[in-house]
Order: sequence, then C-alpha cells, then structure tokens
Amino acid sequence: MASDGVLLEATGITKAFGGVRAVDDVSLQVREGTIHALIGPNGAGKTTFFNAISGFAFPERGRVTFRGTDVTRLVNWRRIAMGMGRTFQTPSIFPELTVDENVRLGVSAHAKQAFRLRAPRGEAKAAVDGRVDELLGFVNLIAQRDRPLAELAHGSQRLCEIAMSLSTDPVLVLLDEPMAGLAEAETDRIIGVIRDLRVRLGLTVLFVEHNMRVVLSLADRITVLDRGKLLADGTPAEIAANEAVRSAYLGEGVLDHV
Amino acid sequence: MTARKELLLSAAVVVLFAFGPWISPLMHLDVSIVSGVLVIAIAVMSVNLLLGYTGLPAFGNAAYFGLGSYGAALSVKYFQVHFAEAIVIGTVAGLLGGLILAPFLLRRRGIYFGLLSIAFGQVFYFIAYRYTDVTGGEDGMQVPRPLFVLANAHATVSDFGFYYVALAFFVIAVIAFRTIVRSPFGRTLIAIRQNEPRVRYLGLNTDRFIFVALLIASTMAGLSGALSGLLINFAFPLQLDWHQSGYFVLSMILGGAGTVWGSLVGAFIYVIGNDIISTITSWWQIFLGALFVACVLFFPRGILGTLQALGRAPQAFGDDDVDANAAFDPNAAGEAGRGV
Repeated sequence: MASDGVLLEATGITKAFGGVRAVDDVSLQVREGTIHALIGPNGAGKTTFFNAISGFAFPERGRVTFRGTDVTRLVNWRRIAMGMGRTFQTPSIFPELTVDENVRLGVSAHAKQAFRLRAPRGEAKAAVDGRVDELLGFVNLIAQRDRPLAELAHGSQRLCEIAMSLSTDPVLVLLDEPMAGLAEAETDRIIGVIRDLRVRLGLTVLFVEHNMRVVLSLADRITVLDRGKLLADGTPAEIAANEAVRSAYLGEGVLDHV
Repeated sequence: MTARKELLLSAAVVVLFAFGPWISPLMHLDVSIVSGVLVIAIAVMSVNLLLGYTGLPAFGNAAYFGLGSYGAALSVKYFQVHFAEAIVIGTVAGLLGGLILAPFLLRRRGIYFGLLSIAFGQVFYFIAYRYTDVTGGEDGMQVPRPLFVLANAHATVSDFGFYYVALAFFVIAVIAFRTIVRSPFGRTLIAIRQNEPRVRYLGLNTDRFIFVALLIASTMAGLSGALSGLLINFAFPLQLDWHQSGYFVLSMILGGAGTVWGSLVGAFIYVIGNDIISTITSWWQIFLGALFVACVLFFPRGILGTLQALGRAPQAFGDDDVDANAAFDPNAAGEAGRGV
C-alpha cells in the first residue's frame, strides 16, 4: 500500500464518446479513511469517471492506481478481489431473489463457494450465515431478509446493494449517487450508513452526489467536475468558498448554507 | 415443492418410462420413437442450461449434437468401434466442439452470442455437407448399429435394448443436470442471467462460469447426438444445421425454460408431434409454430413452468423456476460492465 496514505489515485483520466470528451484529463486522490465526494452538475462526467476507476469501462488515457498497483486495464472482477466495492446509480441487484439471497451470493463468492457443486456445510456454512447476518444487520434489513428485493422500496434496494458491495470485504467503497431518487427520510438513512462505513467499519468511501446538503454534511474532501473537466478539489469549506464552483452551481443557492 | 414430493414425482416419471416398451404400443408409438424423446431431451437440456438458466442464446447447439452423431457414425464406419465406444467417442466429439468454440463464444453476450453460435454451427454443417468422400455429403452416412461387446460376450442392440440404454443415459443426464443447477455453481449461472455486471462486481470471473457451462452443454448435446445417430443408424448434415438448433430451443421454451423436467416435456411434444402429426398432415410445422407463438404469448414459462407456477408461488432461487421472458431480456446479459 502507498505509504503516503493514498488508497486510490487517478491521473489524467480521459474518455470520449464520439466527439464529446465526457471526461477530460481528470485527476484525483482518495486518502485512506476519508469520505470523498465527487460532485458536479448533470453531464459533468462523474459516472464516466467512476466507471474508469471501477473498471466498468476503461479510459482512453490516464492511469488508475489502487493500493499502489496500476489497475488501469485490470478487469473489474479482479479489482473487487483487490478490495474495491461498488454500487450503481440504478441499483444493480438480483430483483427476483430475496434480500438474504442477494447478500449470500456475494458472501459465498468471497468465501470461494460459488464455483462448487456442493453447498457449504458445517463450519463453512456457519461462516457464510454469520457474515450474511452481520451485513444485513449493518444495513438494518434483517426484518425484510426473506422478501424478494423487487418488492422492497428503492431505498431498501440501495441498502441491500451496499451490503452486497460490502460482502467482498472491500477497503474502498465506491457509491454512484447513493441518494438518487430517494425521499428525505430514506436519504437520512443512507447518510447514516455511509458514516458508519467509516466509523464502524473503518472503510474509505468515494461517492458521487448531486445533493449539496448531503455532500457538505458527509464529505471530508470534495472533488468538483464540470463539463468533463476538473473544476476544484479541496475541503468542504474551500469548495464552498470557491468562486468557480459557485458560478457552476449558480442559482441553486445551496452553497450559502455553509 | 418439497424435496420429498419432488423425489416421488421424479421416481414416478422414471418408473413410467421404465414400462415404456409396453405403454408405447397402447399409444400406437414405436418404441424407438419414445427412445428418440429420451435422447432429444438430453440435447434440449443442454440448451436449457445455457439459455434457460444462464441466459445465453444458445442458437447453435446442433453443432455439438451433430458432432456427436458424426463422431459415432465415423468411428463405427472407419474404425469398427463397438456400441459403448461409439457413444463415448460421439460425446467426446461434442465436448471437443465446445472446447474449440467456447473461447470465441465467450467474447460476446446477448444477440451476438446467438449469431456467433449459429455461424459456427453452419461451419460444421458445410464441412459435413461438402466433405462427401468421408461424410457422404448431403445424403449422410448410413451405418449399421455396432455390436455391444463386454469382455468376450457380444450382442446386437435391439430397439428394445436401445430403449433402456437411452433411458439409462437420460436418467444420468437428469440427475447430473439437477445436481448442477441446484449447486452453488448453478445458482451463480442463474445470477449471471439476472445481472451479469453485478456478479462480476461480486468479484467473480463470469467468463469462467460460462466456459464451464458451455463445456457441460456441448458434452450433453454430443451424448444426445451420439445416441440419436445410433438410434436411427444414420448421420446426416441437417443434424448440424441451425434449424435443428432452433427445434431444440423451441422444445425448451415449450417445455419450460429453467425447469429440470421441462426439457423432457418439450422433447416429447417435438418428437411425437414430428412423428405423428407429420404423418397426418404436412402442415405439422405450422402447428408447431402456432403452439410456440401461443406459448410465448400466453404462458412464457412453458408447459411445466406454468404448471409449477400454478402449484405454488414463484421462487426464483428456491426452485428450478426461471422465467422464459427473462431468458430473452436483452439487459439481463448485456455487453456492458465486462471491462472489455
């Protein structure tokens, strides 16, 4: 691991779709133990950048280093094995399966049980059961564990997806717009869980978000993108005071709360 | 369905088929037709594993089926192998076909996987069609059924005897199939069908799972082809053709995608329909087409899948119940997220 506490470093990430540079020469450092927010108006390139980091789609130029290793062209499932976890803007789940089965799949995969012809027994089964309970407890979904995920509210699906992304024991969790489309009460529930990721589990979090209230209440560090370019990078106070950011968000008035 | 009930029902089906040679005359069926049902059901299962469970459009499984048939026929004709050896050689031919094609098929998902499967199948079809000196070309090759040899004893395999060979292989195939789809490995295949990117983001190399699924399917289709060729004493290019692949897919949908026994139901309708209705009317294909359209429109889970759904609440993971609609969901196994 990098000695200076940098867990993830992206340098000069560039990705174009057709003629449009969705992400243009963007760099960012995520330090261990921080909650780092990636913000920007619609079309700023946040998700494209996220995809480059998590290996969903490779960047054209630039370099991604995770735990001191160059992972720019590493397939996504290997990054997960290295300790990355990710959620998607639209929850990526198994809607027909129950909450328990969704999380169990991840836990079994991580316990190297997924390729077997025999279901785990005895100690191996107890270990998987215990871990599933732990994760469901963390996101507070024990009561709904036997319900198909499709029947649950959007916020609960998100929470289940977070539990799934934790099932592989990551050190860094990437959350793509975890509050998108959620009601206020559900948003607060997710905010609590994200805080707990660091406080209770000691994880590092990088998350994409629109909602400035959420970002300013959660993040230690904020990176701002605008039209594919890096606009600013700093502490919440620095970002709130930044003229360029203020003008990009002009009219929203959200920064005045700080 | 409880495990006990399921076991009883499965046993009842097997016992019923054990009396096949006595029951089939009552239905005015030749015993070899019922053998054909059992044999084709194995090929339908191979499509079911890929399409019904894993969500891969397996539109080229006739390639492995035909390789099985030709593998058996060629080895009998040119190397005078015996009955059991011909079955083994045909099955291995199917597996080898899978080993050759899988690395290419793995590179695509969705409709492109289907197109590649068809295209590769047609390559084998044209080889059999054109390589007349060896394969007999369009006319195919008629090969007498080889002797069954064990130690110093040998025996001819009658249609009656063949029936029990087919039944034995069918039972083995069902047990193997059921074991696979209920195993953690099989559960992962279902998960891949539902959401492949998520499976990869759980740290699993989905290519590895799909590769093994392709090898299992090609082996099953090869076995089915070998038995099929030995049953009718004939190997011909149309066994490799994409139409044949299509019939396997239709049978699977009719019977019930993602159900263990649906393959038998589908194969039964296809083989019996082909044999009986086609002698009554040359419009049999239209009946099959209409049945298929009705099936997809009104009971997409197929005959067995619908019966199962009526019997109890659907439970995607608790049982062998997979929606055929979902099998065709283009988003279920898309290209995205593979980190190509």
